[in-house]
Amino acid sequence: MSVLTLERVSKRFDQTIAVDDLSFSVEQGTVFGFLGGNGAGKTTSLRMVLDIIRPTSGKIEVLGRPPGRENAADIGFLPEERGLYRQMTALDTIAYFGRLKGMTAADAKLEGAALLDRFGLAASTKQTVDKLSKGMAQKVQLATALVNRPRLLILDEPFSGLDPVNQGLLEDEIRRISAGGSTVVFSTHVMQHAERLCDWLLLLGRGRKMFEGTLDDARAQLPARLALVAKNDPSRLPGVESAEDHGEAEPGWRRWDVRLEPGVEPGHVLEQCVAEQFPLRRFEQVHASLHDVFVHIVGTPETEQ
Amino acid sequence: MKNVLIVAAREFRQIASMRSFWLTLLIMPLSIAAGAVAPQLFDKDQADRVMIIDRTGGSEAQALGQRFKLDEARDKLSALSRYVQRHHLERADPAALWAQHDRWYSDADVARFVAEGGPAAAKAKIARVKAEDTPEFTPPEPDFELVPVPASLAKVPDAQLDRALKPVLKPTDKDAKAVDYIILIPASFGESPLVRLWANKQPSQQFVGIVQDVLTRGLRTRFLAAQGVSPDAAESASTIAPTLAISTPPPGGGAREAMLVRSILPLAAAYLLMISLMLSGSWMLQGTVEERSNKLLETVLACVSPQELMYGKLLGTAGVGLFMIAVWVGCGIFAGYATHGAIADLIRPALDPLTSPGTILALIYFFVVGYVTIAIMFLAIGAMSDSMRDAQGYLMPVLLLILLPITILMQAVLGGNNGGVLMEVLTWVPIWTPFAVLARLGLGIPTWEVVGTGILLAAFTAAEMVLLGRLFRASLLAQGQRPNVREVISRMRAVPS
Repeated sequence: MSVLTLERVSKRFDQTIAVDDLSFSVEQGTVFGFLGGNGAGKTTSLRMVLDIIRPTSGKIEVLGRPPGRENAADIGFLPEERGLYRQMTALDTIAYFGRLKGMTAADAKLEGAALLDRFGLAASTKQTVDKLSKGMAQKVQLATALVNRPRLLILDEPFSGLDPVNQGLLEDEIRRISAGGSTVVFSTHVMQHAERLCDWLLLLGRGRKMFEGTLDDARAQLPARLALVAKNDPSRLPGVESAEDHGEAEPGWRRWDVRLEPGVEPGHVLEQCVAEQFPLRRFEQVHASLHDVFVHIVGTPETEQ
Repeated sequence: MKNVLIVAAREFRQIASMRSFWLTLLIMPLSIAAGAVAPQLFDKDQADRVMIIDRTGGSEAQALGQRFKLDEARDKLSALSRYVQRHHLERADPAALWAQHDRWYSDADVARFVAEGGPAAAKAKIARVKAEDTPEFTPPEPDFELVPVPASLAKVPDAQLDRALKPVLKPTDKDAKAVDYIILIPASFGESPLVRLWANKQPSQQFVGIVQDVLTRGLRTRFLAAQGVSPDAAESASTIAPTLAISTPPPGGGAREAMLVRSILPLAAAYLLMISLMLSGSWMLQGTVEERSNKLLETVLACVSPQELMYGKLLGTAGVGLFMIAVWVGCGIFAGYATHGAIADLIRPALDPLTSPGTILALIYFFVVGYVTIAIMFLAIGAMSDSMRDAQGYLMPVLLLILLPITILMQAVLGGNNGGVLMEVLTWVPIWTPFAVLARLGLGIPTWEVVGTGILLAAFTAAEMVLLGRLFRASLLAQGQRPNVREVISRMRAVPS
């Protein structure tokens, strides 16, 4: 069942096209990674999903309905630029956002207190935000997004600015929510987080969709590579595009970084080695990183815009 | 609507949690109370002690003593009249002098008052009609008290009086009471006009005036007698003075004092509107700037629409403003009924306009709509500013534009002016309309003008809601430099998709 669908959505600001003919859908229960460099159109797309801005053209459906505040009760949102009311207490802040999402004051306070307890802030519920450390405030911000136990959690660059402890906490929360059957959509330009968390990926470049699929699908976009330790140069083997000598492994044996021709399976090369009695001491398939895939498809994340 | 109320409640709580809010809330009634009580603190609590050494035989000392008694009785009669007026006790004796207010009591009036038994007789009559909870009349303390001349001093020759009087003016014994003024009327008084006055402080204007007046009469009498005029004729000639028949119109008849009292409530409403708007408006501005600078808006806008946010903020701020006014008015009413002094005198007549439902409606309408009209400007400024410094740049010209003409208007109304081109312009230009109409309600403003300006103000506020609402929406998530006038106009024209 699709939780979020975008059909041919575009957004134009004056002469700039921020999102260009974007279509995708997110299935319930998945962790959906929305990847792209700065200015790729990630935040604009998410703001359209939340009805903070309206698309120039195209259609969006959120939880079976058009975007709007009536969806707020089922959505949790953590924006990239985060802030809190400095003079409000941690618990009141969470309860306030809970109420704006349709919860009763009592439920919002109860859930807020439970979240603060889970995040190790039980002693700070009555403290005003300006007296909390940055790390504590980050946890409170996360709690404002989770207070209504959302069916769809939207996180815009959630890991930016977080300390390592809170990064781990957020990863755990994403896994917890996904395990509970909710859907998580998060944008990032840090590929390691997406690699660890996402079931489904969408790569965005200059407002356009460049790739959509699983992590394995993404890796398959790059030619397979092998790490070999062999006596002879493997570049003459059938299916090998190039081989780079990485020096001596032991006397008489050398390390090779082998790039295969597109579509060639590593198993096929191994068969050839056996058939031709090509001496080998190591034969290992090297998986491409998401970063490599991203650079291959979009360009470097930092320079993509 | 629910979200509007939630936002409004948060705004209210946020402002109410500020120390400056409570300080401001308390400062106003405290300063008004201090203003009312201060004059009483400056009042003397004891009469000045006066000693008169009269070497002429005692006639001048006697004249001075009579004058002090006459002035004391006049003060008591005036105070009694105010007491009777305040508590509506005229029916005790409608013909009595103290039942006739707003008049000057002549020497003959005062003599009659004393002859009829003075305050004691009046109190006896009043006691028959006075309600139980009406306080007793307390006559004012006399200004001067005559003390007899000790025999030891009476014998001291004039030339040695300087030294002899020192311990009387400044006694070394702590328990001894000092004499404030000592007058020496020498035996040669008449032939020579010289009279000596010793004082242990700077002599009061009032005291010197009385002494001068009484002794001038004495000198004239003596002079006429020396010219061969019979003593009785000389005495009469020196006291000849015109009898001024002073009349003041009854309250409400157009006298400036009465007019000011009647107009004090609407004028006060205009002042309160201005003060509460400036305070709560600047707090709201601070809150909106905080939301922008703290990058809170996106989170909030994911839950509420910009319109809901705007209306919530307006409602919350209006709530703060009205709460402040309710507290101040409550303090005023409490003071009016709990005290029987100057505050009650001021407030009770001011409540007269509240007997007209039309005036009440007009007061409420112009107050509330005026509040929204100006508050929404603060809101738009807050939405365009990334910091309070940015906001000040927009705020100063707007404040000057609104407040400068209003200050002139208030002065004009206090001066009793209720017409002229400036007054009409201020009445019909919507940003000044609420203040002008409120201020003029007490002086009298034609009904057609109240209705006309009311309709114009409503239309202006509606247009403002649309245009500044668009500016608010478009500015919320806008980033970059402060928008210039062209950008502001373009945001106002941008119809939300």
